[in-house]
Amino acid sequence: MSIAPVEQEVVSSDSAVEPDVPWITLVWNDPVNLMSYVTYVFQSYFGYDRAKAEKLMMDVHTKGRAVVSHGPREKMEIDTEALQGYGLWATFQKDD
Amino acid sequence: MARAFARKGRGKDVRYSAKLDAVERAVVAGLMEQVHELVAPEAIEDAAPQGEAHHVDDFDAIVSGLGGLGMGVSLSPDDQLPDDRPVPADARSFGDRDPALERLLPAGNRADDQASAEFRRLTEHSLRTRKARHLESAMGALRAPGSTVELDERVAIDMVVALTDVRLVLGERLGLREDADVDRLEEELADVDDDDPRGHAMAVYDFLTWLQETLASAMLPGADHGRRAT
Repeated sequence: MSIAPVEQEVVSSDSAVEPDVPWITLVWNDPVNLMSYVTYVFQSYFGYDRAKAEKLMMDVHTKGRAVVSHGPREKMEIDTEALQGYGLWATFQKDD
Repeated sequence: MARAFARKGRGKDVRYSAKLDAVERAVVAGLMEQVHELVAPEAIEDAAPQGEAHHVDDFDAIVSGLGGLGMGVSLSPDDQLPDDRPVPADARSFGDRDPALERLLPAGNRADDQASAEFRRLTEHSLRTRKARHLESAMGALRAPGSTVELDERVAIDMVVALTDVRLVLGERLGLREDADVDRLEEELADVDDDDPRGHAMAVYDFLTWLQETLASAMLPGADHGRRAT
C-alpha cells in the first residue's frame, strides 16, 4: 500500500537525495470547512481514493486533526502551502 | 429562488450548473470582492494594522437598495465589533494581523515560530496570488449575464475554493472558531431582532454553506455519476 500522492513524481528528483527524519503534514479541525469539501480536497490534491479521503476527513472532524502526508520537510511544506491554498487549516512539523 | 449546483456530463465536457437570481449573485460576488481586497497581494503594502481606509466597494450600495438577503454584510476589519474572547492558545499566531487574514494564511508550524516565519516568507505571496485568482475567476462567473451559473471543471475549482475563503472570513467575523461556536451563535440569534446585522450575516453564511455543499458534493470524484474514479 502506497500513500505517495500522484504529484510526488514532480519533486521526486529532489526528495530522493536525502531520506532524512520524516516530517508530517497535519490538517486541523475548524467549524467552517465542509466534510464534502475536505474529502474533495484530499481526493483531488493527494489522489487518495474515496475511502482513505473520508477516513482522514473523519479523523480531522472527530479527533481534531489528522496526519495527511509524510515525507521530507520540503515536500511537507509544499503540501501545507497547497492545502492552505484550498482553505484547509494545514501545518507541517517533525514526526515525533 | 436559488437552485443547487448539479453536475452535467463528464470528462472534459463536465459542467456544474446552478441558478442564482440577481440579488444572490450580487451578494456572493460582493463578498468575494471584499475578501479579494483583504487577501490580494497588493493588500500587503497597506496592511498597516487597522489603519488605512478600506474602500468599501459598491457592494453596500448595490445591495442595500435591494432588501433581503445579506444587506450590507461587511467583512472589513474596521466594521467589526470588538471580540473580547481570549484567543485559543493552541490555535493561531494572531499577532497584530486581522484574525480573518490569519485564518486564510495561518502559521505553518505550531511548534516552531521560526519555521512558521520562514514558511510565511516563502509562501505568503504565492498563496495570496492564488487566492486572489480563484476569487477573480469566481466573480467573473457570477457576473456573467443570465441567471444560470455554468462552470467548467477549472472554474468550478476556483468557485469552490473562493466560497471556502469567503466562508472562512465570514465565519471568523461571526466568531466561529470551534465547532461549539456554531450552536452557540444559532442559539443567540434565535432571540435577536430581525434587524440584527448578525442575523443577516448568518443567513448569508448559511446560504454560502448550502451553495458550497452542493458544488463540492457534485465535484467529488466517484460521487453518483455511475462510475468510480480510477
